[in-house]
Amino acid sequence: MIEMKDIRKVYQMGKVSLEALKGISLRVEPGEFVSIMGPSGSGKSTLMNIIGCLDTPTGGSYFLEEKNVAGFNFDQLSSIRNQKIGFVFQNFNLLPYATAYENVELPMLFNGKPGKKRRQRVLELLEMVGLVDRQAHRPTELSGGEQQRVAIARALANDPSLILADEPTGNIDSKTGQEIMGLFVELQRQGRTILMVTHDMTIAAYSERTIRLLDGHLVEARQ
Amino acid sequence: MILTFFRNLFRDLRRQPLRTSLTLSGVGWGTFAVVLLLAFGSAVGKQNMKSFRGVGQGFVIAFPMSTTLPYQGLPKGRRVRLTPEEIILAGQKIAGIKRMAFEFTATRRIRYRREDVLNTVRGVTVEYGDIRNVIAGEGRYLNGTDIALKRRVCVLGNAITKNLFHEEEAVGRTIFIEGLPFTVIGVMKKKIQTSNFSGQRDEHCVFIPWTTYSALFGDKYIGSFIFQPENIAASKRLIRLVREHLGSRAGFSPDDKDALFVWDWTEFEKSFSIFFLAFNIFLGLIGSFTLLVGGVGVASIMLVVVEERTKEIGIKLAVGAKRRHILWQFFAESLAIVLMGGWLGFLLAALVLRAIPIEKIREYVGIPEINPAVGVAAIMILLAIGVISGMMPARRAASTNPIEALRK
Ligand SMILES: Nc1ncnc2c1ncn2[C@@H]1O[C@H](COP(=O)(O)OP(=O)(O)OP(=O)(O)O)[C@@H](O)[C@H]1O
Ligand SMILES: [Mg+2]
Repeated sequence: MIEMKDIRKVYQMGKVSLEALKGISLRVEPGEFVSIMGPSGSGKSTLMNIIGCLDTPTGGSYFLEEKNVAGFNFDQLSSIRNQKIGFVFQNFNLLPYATAYENVELPMLFNGKPGKKRRQRVLELLEMVGLVDRQAHRPTELSGGEQQRVAIARALANDPSLILADEPTGNIDSKTGQEIMGLFVELQRQGRTILMVTHDMTIAAYSERTIRLLDGHLVEARQ
Repeated sequence: MILTFFRNLFRDLRRQPLRTSLTLSGVGWGTFAVVLLLAFGSAVGKQNMKSFRGVGQGFVIAFPMSTTLPYQGLPKGRRVRLTPEEIILAGQKIAGIKRMAFEFTATRRIRYRREDVLNTVRGVTVEYGDIRNVIAGEGRYLNGTDIALKRRVCVLGNAITKNLFHEEEAVGRTIFIEGLPFTVIGVMKKKIQTSNFSGQRDEHCVFIPWTTYSALFGDKYIGSFIFQPENIAASKRLIRLVREHLGSRAGFSPDDKDALFVWDWTEFEKSFSIFFLAFNIFLGLIGSFTLLVGGVGVASIMLVVVEERTKEIGIKLAVGAKRRHILWQFFAESLAIVLMGGWLGFLLAALVLRAIPIEKIREYVGIPEINPAVGVAAIMILLAIGVISGMMPARRAASTNPIEALRK
């Protein structure tokens, strides 16, 4: 699914340069549920952004489903994000003025899915996360857990094979966090590959494998 | 898909009501200004062209005066005298003259029943009517037989007809000029005329055959003559030829500009058209600048909107929006504002034009209206400004870096 070799990321800020990733090599098989842990500033988000094709590395090679993503242009990367990847963020990143329905619909607006199928898919996903009756609510009218469930439904809109979650339970209480993890387990059962950043050991325990980042280096630790 | 696009477009516009209404009114005001200025400009131009044509069309007027240069032994200060026969001959001899006509003119006493007035009477030729646009609205204009037989017939200006006859039918009645009976054979069709020469405007005049005029009132020498060049551009050369020909016949030098006072109306018409073209371009530019200010308003406010909605753009990019999706979204917003504002401006301009008391200003500015030319010009300006003011913020939006946008 994911095959990274010697991935580097250097941030250049004027004269000062900061190497956030110092040669990461990582392999994730299809259907795996991997958690990433590490201290703050160790490069977890940077790595997730590169895996998610939101950012490009300054060095190394990255194959996603056997495709060399390095050579892709902006719109091709957009296409990958749209079709192959579902993002779940710590702060949900929902459109504040749009309803739950419209938020779930959003990724489908960028690949020309016809209206009827779109509607069907949105309702199916809201059903799955248990929010059909909240479809007309805006994010401010939803609890943190509910917002994250909307975000998960949105991530699944185009049926991606890879789910990337950067601290998905960071902004919600632990009981709701457990519920969200229930959804993730279900997603893995459906055959999706999941990468999740977390600071919480109990959350990481839901994954099969935990990798650790330390100052831009990768330290793998089997459970 | 399209439906969703428009639904989201209007949702986004409604989300920022103050901005939307500010930009809308900016563009609306600009369009209003452009449309009104263009409408007035073209109406004023047309109206003045019309009133020019009221005097006549593409012609030259000449008045015989006194010589100011000695000529072949003759002293200066002699009156230049031209007979009708000389003018007719000149019209036949000089190549390049399309029509030639002359007139005797004087203010005379005119009576019908109890109405007794002093108005301009013109003894004229058949061609005179064609050159000066004296066209019969009722009855007919003078013809060759009237002139050959020195008939006592007349064509009345429409205004004097009203004064003499009120609501009565004029054609067929008899009026008295200096006590002599004349039969009314026609009434001039109303025309717009703001300038004239020697005497009253045509609507107040009485036109009679020049032969009758000469026989009854004893005039031998014409008051003025007029001619139309076949080619308006050659009017200068033709005037020279006329001076040379008549000078040799009537005894004045072709260089003696004051012997024959010439008024080249074709020159007026030419410079006049250029003037009004420039005038309209000027008005259009002023209007465009007003509209441009509106466009700049849209662009700058949209730039702020893009800035404020960076996070939204980031989210959309993260879930797979391509650059063109973002570009179109913001471009469509700007364009929608410009088009709606333009529509409002058009509407407002149309309402104002309808509310103007047309009759009062008609003589000077004509009827301002949104004719196709005005509409097309305004829409072109509007679209150009819409595209320009929409493109800049849209491109800014589309070049957003998704990671930085998400961090906001
Ligand atoms: N756009 C950027 N420009 C400069 N430096 C950056 C940028 N993004 C991240 N960094 C730096 O790179 C390093 C790694 O950041 P990253 O966000 O990946 O850490 P993280 O492991 O996700 O931390 P946290 O647990 O706090 O989210 C940090 O030192 C950070 O300051
Ligand atoms: Mg992070």
